[in-house]
Amino acid sequence: MLVLTRRLGEVIRVGDNVTVRVLEVKGNQVRLGVEAPADVRIYREEVYRAIRKENEEAALQKPSSLDEVTTTWEKQRDKP
Amino acid sequence: MGEAARQAVAETVAVRSQRFGDYEVPAERILRFPEGLVGFPEARHFVLLESSHAGSPFRYLLCLDLPELGFVVCDAAHVCPGYVADVPRPAEVPVEDLAVLALVTVPADPCHMTANLMAPLLVDCRSGRGRQVVLDTGRHPIRYPLLAPPVRP
Repeated sequence: MLVLTRRLGEVIRVGDNVTVRVLEVKGNQVRLGVEAPADVRIYREEVYRAIRKENEEAALQKPSSLDEVTTTWEKQRDKP
Repeated sequence: MGEAARQAVAETVAVRSQRFGDYEVPAERILRFPEGLVGFPEARHFVLLESSHAGSPFRYLLCLDLPELGFVVCDAAHVCPGYVADVPRPAEVPVEDLAVLALVTVPADPCHMTANLMAPLLVDCRSGRGRQVVLDTGRHPIRYPLLAPPVRP
């Protein structure tokens, strides 16, 4: 892992198009400003992991689950 | 439409799947997700299969790159009124061309199925381009219950 020390307001550049600036340091919290092209996806790590996990759980369904889901949905909707 | 264009539209792509068998998909129905999905960067081409039930908000999103991969998706506007207004629309896509789909997680008991409203799929129906976006606002859950919990006596 590359380790760099930066002061408030200083910047790290990743490749040609991505910069990360230290905006604020308060106690054990650091605010970072990331500038990157629109097609570069930026997530907080825990959000990325949660969504990847949910995608993995949603994946690998058989086409027949479409009928199962629809039938379950209709049954509930048609309840009085 | 000229004959050449008609032929281009009629082009099909062959898909081979151990689970679903071999079949052909019309080229114009292929959705392209250049970035893949979160955790599935290689899943870039999909086709949406309709439900046989009329009026169902659910469809099946089949991946063509990994034919064993498929998702049940739902029309997010249908299952969560007001939701679409919170989804950032790509500037180049008119609102009438934008489909907002949510991936559905179906547990063993489908009564507890949920929709991922934190990371919807935005599809430009005109160009067939799609992207999974992340709404990191805390307003929409990753597991939105699709069915009301059973009433306890």
